[in-house]
Parts: sequence; C-alpha cells; structure tokens
Amino acid sequence: MIPNLISAILLIVLGIPALIIAVFLPPLLELRRPRDSGPRIIMDDLHVGIVGPLSVATIINIEEEHRFDRSLLPRLLKVIEVLPSLEV
Amino acid sequence: MILIIIEVLFLLSTIAMIIYLIRHYVFTFAVLRKTKNTNKTNRVAEAEWEPTVSILIPAHDEEHVIGRLLQRMTELTYPHHKMQVIVIDDASSDRTGQIAQEFAMQYTFIEALSRDKATGGKGKASAMNAGLKRATGEIVVCFDADYYPQKDIVEKLVRGFADPTVGAVQGRPVVLNESQNIVTRLVTLERIGGFRVDQEARDSLGLIPQFGGTVGGFRRSAMEKLGGFDESMLTEDTDLTFHLCLLGFKISYAGDAECYEEAVCTWKAYWRQRHRWARGHMQVCFKHEFNVLRSNKLNVKEKIDGLLLLHVYFMPVLAMFSFFLGASLILLEPSPLVYAFWLFVPVSLYSSVGNFAPFFEVGIGAYLDGRTRLQWLVPLLAFLYLYNVAICTKAFLDICGAKILGKKQEDWSKTQHFGDGNRYIAK
Repeated sequence: MIPNLISAILLIVLGIPALIIAVFLPPLLELRRPRDSGPRIIMDDLHVGIVGPLSVATIINIEEEHRFDRSLLPRLLKVIEVLPSLEV
Repeated sequence: MILIIIEVLFLLSTIAMIIYLIRHYVFTFAVLRKTKNTNKTNRVAEAEWEPTVSILIPAHDEEHVIGRLLQRMTELTYPHHKMQVIVIDDASSDRTGQIAQEFAMQYTFIEALSRDKATGGKGKASAMNAGLKRATGEIVVCFDADYYPQKDIVEKLVRGFADPTVGAVQGRPVVLNESQNIVTRLVTLERIGGFRVDQEARDSLGLIPQFGGTVGGFRRSAMEKLGGFDESMLTEDTDLTFHLCLLGFKISYAGDAECYEEAVCTWKAYWRQRHRWARGHMQVCFKHEFNVLRSNKLNVKEKIDGLLLLHVYFMPVLAMFSFFLGASLILLEPSPLVYAFWLFVPVSLYSSVGNFAPFFEVGIGAYLDGRTRLQWLVPLLAFLYLYNVAICTKAFLDICGAKILGKKQEDWSKTQHFGDGNRYIAK
C-alpha cells in the first residue's frame, strides 16, 4: 500500500516513461546508426556486403541508404588511414 | 457459474503458456551447455559417405534469383557425377523457365522441368512431387529459388544420413538482405532464435527438429513409402516432419550447413508469409496430433515435444485469449488467484511464441553468433509479437472457416523475390 497518492502518481508518471526509454533507446540507437547490420559471413569464397575493411563496409551500407556522394569515399578512407587507432 | 468457467479457462491457458515458457528456458540452457561442452561429438560427425543426391529447386516466377542459385549449383564441391539438380519451373509467367533451360543445356547434371498452367501452378508440394518423379538420388535435397548455399553444403547435409535412422536433415538459413530495413533485421533476429537455439536444442535433446522444406534433405526411399508430399497441405515440410517421425525416422539438424536466404522486406509480405506458415502448421496439427499421441514409434519426450511443436502457432491466440479472460475476471470479481497469475501473464506473453523465438532465446542466439550489437534490437520483438498475435488469430479463423465452409486452399501463395540480396554478394 502506498500511503502518499502524489508519490504514487509521480512514480507512474516518471517511472513508465523512464522504463520505456530504457527499453527502447538501445534499439533506436542501433537502427539510427547501425554498427552491425549484417549479414553474417558464412562463406569465404565471396565478399558479402564487404569489399574491404569492415569500416569501409559500414560506410558503404550507410552510403547506400542515405545516398552519400560516392566521390567523398576515397578521401574519407585516406583520412581514416592517417588517424591513430584509439582502440584500447 | 460463468465466473467459475472463466477462471478455469484462464488457469488452463496460463498453465499452457507456462509450459511453453519452461520449454524455451530448457532449450536456451541446453544450447548454452552444448556450446560449453566442446568435446561433444555428433553421432555422425565424421561419417564419410557420398550417396547420390538429387537437388530439387521448385520455382514460380523467380527470374530475379534463379540464375544466381543455378550458377551456385555449378560451384558446389560435391562430385557433380553424383549430383542431379532438377529445377521445376511451375507455370512461371516470367523468364524462370528460360534461365533454367539455359543452364540445363550447358550442364549435364542440371535438368529443367517445365509445367504449364494446365498441369502446374498448384503449389510447392505439387511441384516437388513432379520433381520427385524425376529424382534418382538416394538423398533428395531442397532449396528455394532465392537461396545461396555454401559450396560444401551438400556434404554437410548428407553426412547426417550415414545414420540409417535419420530420415531428414535440416540446415540453417541465414538472412542475406539483413541490413535492408527494420523488417529484415527483425526477421534476422527471429531466424537466429529459431535455428541457432530452438532447432539446435531440439537436436541435442533428442527431440524433433523441424524439417523446413529448404536447406535440407530427406531420404528418397522414405518419401516413396509416404507416396510423396501431401498436396493438400500448405506447409508440406512440417507435414513431412511428422510423417517421418511417425514412421520411426529421426530428424537431424546440421547447424553448420548454412545458406543465405532473402527475407521478406515489407510488413505486408511478412503478414502473407507468416499467415501461410500459421495456417499450414495448424492444418498439420489437426492432421497429426492424435497420431503423435497414439504412436508407438515416439518416446514420451518426443510425444510431448511433438505436441508442443504442433500447437506452437496456437499459442499467440491463446495468449491473447487468456489476456482478455484475465481482464474480464479482474472486472467481474478480483480474486487472489487472478492477481497471482497476472504475474505470469506478461512473462508468458513474451515467452510463449514457439517458433517466433522469445526474447531470451533470440538474445542468446545472437550472443552465440557473436552479434552482440544486434541484440540491442531484441526489445522491438515485442511489437513483432503483437503483429504475430494478429496473424495467428486470422490464420486460426481462416482455418476454422475453411473447415466449416469447405473452402479450398490457394495455390502458390509464395513470397515474391526481387533479388534484393544480389547487391550484398560480390565475387
């Protein structure tokens, strides 16, 4: 039994949206900026969605979906090669 | 009196959903245990056996994809002199038949069988039976026209048949056009749960993996005993699964025999496909449920699993039904029992959907596939589940209507393929 009605209402008003955000924010983030949009590689005798390093494949996927200017791609690749790796 | 009836029905439906809940937990933990136990050997893992194989490819208006598959057939590593590829062009109105003929003229192990509108167009089962009449291989393997298999898939599928008790072997389809849109990504998740966990678990627990009619094979001698596929069934593959089990054969799952497939990419196409699956599965349930109960070829756990598998497409309907029963009980007369079971209802609603892969099965499947980022999409399966509730309810009503009114099923209610997967493949 919750003695305070206002507390109960606040809990519902704030709690339910918080729960919805917590549950659905990860999928929305992944849909917006897919980091693993597949497909899973199951054969090694051909390239499936990958024509170079994985990062290039991701750029190509985004490119197709958002119709990026293809001429930018070689320039972007040169920049990525020069940048230091920040992976731990 | 009415209240008591509602309470009893609510209790029974909740118990059924809890049974499915437990089943999915059992499957998921079985697969996790199997993954850890790397010393476990498949009963036919190392069998060296090269039977003759007939590959059936039924096709109806598949000009966008059939050429890709037939080219792949020429690249398979299985000895071509032991292979026979039969394309059944079933009353296609596009260039499917022409493309098949071109390959048949170029390769001696490829045959093209064309059926016109008078003899063909009666559905996949009918097309497969026509192909079976021409098949000469000991083992018959099937591919849908939009599939793209591994080069060594035939070896991986047929090695299971070295065990004479195995009547059919099922491989694993992998979605090729996964990144196309949200529909394809959610279908990918479903397929991961269904094959990486569900089928794998059923195989390792000695239950009944389902033969899916594609990326799989069966013994031709077993099929001859059955007289071919039942052409009145919408899901002839599920029907074959149970026919083989009732004959005393095992169904085996070869998770490493993988093949790309093109998933449906629109909500409408998803509805049509799953509606067909649900109706067909329900048809098979009505046909076989008592046969499974009475069979002396199945042990107790196979019977239980068989019945759960047969009724799996009824579960979303049952979940919705029990939700409304519980709601009416709350409104009419709240009781402690109802309050207690309301705790189980939301959990059961998320977990009682069998082949639609509940959240935790899917999440574990994605984890085992190394797709940790894809797991982020799992919460969206809640909406897919609600969509499937509507699909299964409609399918149930259609089945009941068909039985009452004596309606005939439609013919090739197939998924249309546009070759969306082609852009993901580069040689």
